[in-house]
Amino acid sequence: MITQEQKEKALAILADRADPKLQTHLNSCVRCGLCADSCIYYKAYGEAQYIPAAKVNMITSLYRRYHTTEGKLLPGLVGTRKLNEETAQKMVDLFFGSCTLCGRCAKHCSIGVDIPFLVGKGREMLAAMEIIPKSLQATADMAIQTGNNMGIPVDEFRDTIQWMEEELQEELGDAEAQIPLDETNKQILYTLNPREPKFFPLSIAAMAKIFHAAKESWTISSNYYDVTNYGFFCGNNAQASVMARNLYEETYRLQAKRLVLGECGHGTRAIRWEGPNWLKTTYDFDALSALELIGEYIRQGRIHLDKSLNQKVCTLHDPCNLVRNGGLLKEMRFVVRSAVTHFTEMTPCGTDNFCCGGGGGNLAMSEYNERRLKIGKIKADQIRQTGVKVVITPCHNCVDQLTQLNHTYKLGVEIKTVAEIVADALIINKE
Amino acid sequence: MEWYHWMALATLLFCKTLFVIRLIEIIKRGAPNDLSKPSGSVAKGVRYSYTKAMLPQNKESAYLHPPTFGAGLIFHGGILISILAFIWFILTAIFGWATPEIIPPLCCLCLLGSSFCGVAILCKRVFKRALRALSCADDYLSTAIVTLFQLATAGYFYHSDPLPYYAIASLFFLWLPIGKTRHLLYFFAARYQLGFFYGRRGTWPQ
Ligand code: SF4
Ligand code: SF4
Repeated sequence: MITQEQKEKALAILADRADPKLQTHLNSCVRCGLCADSCIYYKAYGEAQYIPAAKVNMITSLYRRYHTTEGKLLPGLVGTRKLNEETAQKMVDLFFGSCTLCGRCAKHCSIGVDIPFLVGKGREMLAAMEIIPKSLQATADMAIQTGNNMGIPVDEFRDTIQWMEEELQEELGDAEAQIPLDETNKQILYTLNPREPKFFPLSIAAMAKIFHAAKESWTISSNYYDVTNYGFFCGNNAQASVMARNLYEETYRLQAKRLVLGECGHGTRAIRWEGPNWLKTTYDFDALSALELIGEYIRQGRIHLDKSLNQKVCTLHDPCNLVRNGGLLKEMRFVVRSAVTHFTEMTPCGTDNFCCGGGGGNLAMSEYNERRLKIGKIKADQIRQTGVKVVITPCHNCVDQLTQLNHTYKLGVEIKTVAEIVADALIINKE
Repeated sequence: MEWYHWMALATLLFCKTLFVIRLIEIIKRGAPNDLSKPSGSVAKGVRYSYTKAMLPQNKESAYLHPPTFGAGLIFHGGILISILAFIWFILTAIFGWATPEIIPPLCCLCLLGSSFCGVAILCKRVFKRALRALSCADDYLSTAIVTLFQLATAGYFYHSDPLPYYAIASLFFLWLPIGKTRHLLYFFAARYQLGFFYGRRGTWPQ
């Protein structure tokens, strides 16, 4: 049972007069249904409940019922819904289990309704009622309690970094090559997805190799290196702010000039774009993605690449948060094309790309695993059609989902991050 | 001026007042106060949002559904003609102006076409399962009222009884700010905000 207090907290979110976008998008959808084919959920299932407008309607019907005169006077006529236990459960399924916040529908909507923005508001309502899928909430809580979403102890992290440093020195034949930890006054504070130290430490070594080649002055914090932000996915702005603040304050504590966000789509979005608004301040340091930094190195001639070292045919998966919601379409292609010999695009791609299915916190919500793999078939089919051997993507969440799709749909491809493919093409000047 | 003219004008005033209040609310809330450092141009993004982003080749809602998109365009054209015709009818009632001969057949032709599109859109909603599941009374009512208004306008050009015409026009103006038809205003705000979002992040223009 949801209490009156929970209800009031949730409904107050729809009455927020300070939010300039809210009223507009709550009143814009005409339920034409033309967004249906833009959504991976509807494409995979063909059921009306997965049409983006159905997700919009879930929240707008509550808005009309509780916050409009016509909804109060003519509830049956204008389409309203009461907020009760049953509605709350449907909201969980629609806002968490049926939307990756990819934003593809908003771009193609006949009106311009910001559907993921409204789904995000729906998540905020559920967070206010403390009805969040347990697995997702646990991931966010872990990040708050330990500083990283996987709860990796600091000692274990340090050991992993040291191990990677030795690997790097061996690969480069240079005992001076370093992965600096907790050093102050460096140009760059570099962040990671905790999946890297936990499961894919070689991607840390790949980025370290790039830093080494660029002769960069950089460091990683052993306390706050987690670029992910599961508070954002939970719709819990208080938690999201804590996570953003951790990185913000760590940048100051270590006196770094730039905060470089490791290859993570939602993490980059959360810190780069949403963070200043959560923290109610502008950053007086640069916050940029690793991808942009690598692009900068190539343009400035700080690193040199030999495309012939990457001979296999490659394609690119556009992470929704970096491309549609982050404007990095061209930069990503510039970097990848500089590092590989044969490149081909998926259809559709760029700002029209389909989400891999792992976005919106999906990978952390085991209760939706089956659905996640089913919607991912669209991406798997796209990859198969290209006939490539390597799929590159600058997001560890996407890497995880693509790896599972590779296994489930037997694609027989390698999945690589941008740093890995660039590191493979690096010409290291031994002098 | 007869009483039904005044009735229709009163509903128009009601409609206008509600829209003006909402417009003021939108303006008062202002543009999003985004503190992140932009990597693109809001102005260019907004311009793109109102222009190229609206082209049928750039929106799946248009290029995957050409008949519905076309019908929607014609239907909306019919609304514009009907509203202009209403203003004209009121002016002729006040000043006794005569309608140029070319206007009635031309408008009637357009309005019959747009009404047909309205009926087709309504039928689609009734018969398509997924769309029906998405719909509430407002969806049927809004399309029906607007279609009826267009048909009534077409009929009134040929001097049918003024009472049904002004009654339907009044219903139209009463419903416009209440039903989903209020997107007449919010459409422009939504496109501005989408352009703001994508423009600031450098996603638009493409
Ligand atoms: S295309 Fe846009 S206006 Fe039409 S139903 Fe979908 S969200 Fe609503
Ligand atoms: S944001 Fe993506 S997943 Fe969510 S409704 Fe839109 S298209 Fe579907």
